[in-house]
Amino acid sequence: MKFLCVPCDTPMKLQTVVPPDRGSLSVVYSCPACGYEMAMLTNAYETQVVQSLGVRIGPADAPAKGDGKCPFPGMIPAGDGTAEHRVGEPVPVRWTVAAQARLANIPEFVRPMAKTGIEKFARDRGALEVDETILDAAKDFFGM
Amino acid sequence: MKGYHDIVGDGGSRILEQVAEKQNRIADGLAAVRHLVAVGSGKGGVGKSTLTLHLAGALRERGLRIAILDADFNGPSQARMAGVQDAVFVPGQHRMALPRTVNGIAVFSMGSLVPESKALDFDSAAHGDSHTWRATKEFALLGEILASSEWGELDLLMFDLPPGADRTVQYADFLGPRTSFVLVTIPSEVSRGVVARSAAALLARRSPGDGGAKGPNRILGYVENMSGYFCRDCNAVKPLFPPSRNRFNEADSQPTLEIPCLGTVPFDPELARHCDRGMPFAALPDTPVRRALDHVTQNLLDSLS
Repeated sequence: MKFLCVPCDTPMKLQTVVPPDRGSLSVVYSCPACGYEMAMLTNAYETQVVQSLGVRIGPADAPAKGDGKCPFPGMIPAGDGTAEHRVGEPVPVRWTVAAQARLANIPEFVRPMAKTGIEKFARDRGALEVDETILDAAKDFFGM
Repeated sequence: MKGYHDIVGDGGSRILEQVAEKQNRIADGLAAVRHLVAVGSGKGGVGKSTLTLHLAGALRERGLRIAILDADFNGPSQARMAGVQDAVFVPGQHRMALPRTVNGIAVFSMGSLVPESKALDFDSAAHGDSHTWRATKEFALLGEILASSEWGELDLLMFDLPPGADRTVQYADFLGPRTSFVLVTIPSEVSRGVVARSAAALLARRSPGDGGAKGPNRILGYVENMSGYFCRDCNAVKPLFPPSRNRFNEADSQPTLEIPCLGTVPFDPELARHCDRGMPFAALPDTPVRRALDHVTQNLLDSLS
């Protein structure tokens, strides 16, 4: 979708995107020639159709908000490793910065399950930190 | 006043660019894959998934590098059948490493992520109106899996498609003309009729020169699954479906599939048991069923060469 400032005959530029509120996105465009601003307010169908494309909505330099998250959070067991350790629960496992960075190479919806599985793999080998060596060992192990 | 096509870019949202970037990432990830083969039907319950896994096993036995993408997100069965239900996806240096079967077939199946007791459901702003967006979401998910998986150098990437003649064509549209199709039927008029529709729909996709969008996909042929029943007690294949009859009770010709037949595979309860337990193709005993699968595999390879 493109927006044109009719009096100036100038393409409008995307300014801000407000994250969905009750299924509606507020997308503000402005005319670089006259400064006129307008907001496009989507209904839930429009919001969902665009989100279903799996794209990021917003200016390229804006931080991602509300997109790219797990699309089916109710079904995949969470395991972000941030919970406090309670008696009877598995010992928390740390992730090195390099290992965390590699985690970003897999789709968001796979991460909770991957993280839980890799942490268990580490614990089973007596490691309380996931580093790249553990990741490579897990890759060899699960790749059989 | 300027029209849509007079304006370069979209003012900053970069939706089309992002879609194009993902398509480039998919093409990049699949660059070292020699053949993309989708196993579809149109009809459900004809054994697409079983056949996909066993063909993959037979191809693997020939020393080929094989991966399966279980594209049936709503009814994934490859995870269980391939024995990777409890496997873990591990981040590689650039993409996601896939779990492998004991005989070395890489498998992506939603069955490794979503427990069998739960249905696949997406978080959505349009609550209760999934018919308006769900197919788009599923194809975006397929794209994400294709783009982010470590396929590496493969001889074949096989897609296990969901049922539905319309879905088969949607997958052809999405995967593009590089993907060849194998259609699976069973010897019933109903099944052959549905598969004939799928074949017709695929063949109707026109080339770009004829005004079509992306060009035609090759149909390598069809496999008639459950073509008889293998009785281990008699060591013989017996009929499973009655001969086809028309309304005058005369022997009737079944709907014609005007594509090559890659072979017929008898039904074997032992094969189903193997699948439920995630046992590899190599563990199959030498029976007429295994020989039939080998025959189909050879025909599949011949059709690709």
